[in-house]
Amino acid sequence: MNFAQGKTATTPSARTEGELALQGLWRVVVLNDPVNLMSYVVMVFKKIFGFDEPTARRHMLEVHEQGRSVVWIGLREKAEAYAFSLQEWHLTATLEPDEKN
Amino acid sequence: MPSPCRNGISPQRSSRMKRIEVKLSLSVVAPLLDVIKSTVDDLGSSLAAFSHLHDVDEELRATWTDGLLASQTGDCRTLLALFDREFFANGVIAFDESNAEAIVRACAAVRLRLRERYLKTLEDDVLESGNVEIGSLPEPQRKAFMCYLFLATIQELIIQHLDSSIIES
Repeated sequence: MNFAQGKTATTPSARTEGELALQGLWRVVVLNDPVNLMSYVVMVFKKIFGFDEPTARRHMLEVHEQGRSVVWIGLREKAEAYAFSLQEWHLTATLEPDEKN
Repeated sequence: MPSPCRNGISPQRSSRMKRIEVKLSLSVVAPLLDVIKSTVDDLGSSLAAFSHLHDVDEELRATWTDGLLASQTGDCRTLLALFDREFFANGVIAFDESNAEAIVRACAAVRLRLRERYLKTLEDDVLESGNVEIGSLPEPQRKAFMCYLFLATIQELIIQHLDSSIIES
């Protein structure tokens, strides 16, 4: 599913403040939940992001122990696609601007 | 996140076909199906997990939610299809590459809704550890918790045996 298709193309001069805010880098953040199994979360990370086992486990443990993990940083359009995929697997995922960039 | 749980299911695996058949106790599982079915019905019009969307216009939000709902509905349909005539005849359900992904996701959706509807009174850490005295739970909650454990066991079996099929699909 391409979420960019849902957006209206605009020229730079017509861009609103809201649209400008979508530029730059975005973080895909996964939040902890008490329901989904550790093994399930590891599998989802491997499937969606192509992580190897240690990387997937590290992010899973970060979610479990710290309540959240930044699993990807990049352009908004791809961040939306990743967030959608994570939500399709029933993980609590959100987007936030990457303040460092 | 909870650790794996076990509740007496006996899997048989055929590695050539990447298919696992599981013999369930009809007397244990059949009474849980009403709860699973009613929870799936409940999921028909709402998402199992809260969808966080910031800075998203209405059109995209609607497309996003509709896409998630369609996916969730299809997955739940695949889960319910496991419990067909063959299951009621001999207690066997089967997973393979064609249904594993949908079922493991549907189990997650149903577990999330069971938690929301029936198991809210259980603390997060209690739920994660699985250290619940089932006998002490009142009847509607007891059956919901048994469904919750049963679906987790299904997920564990699929992840254990068909993990690579799901990741590579």
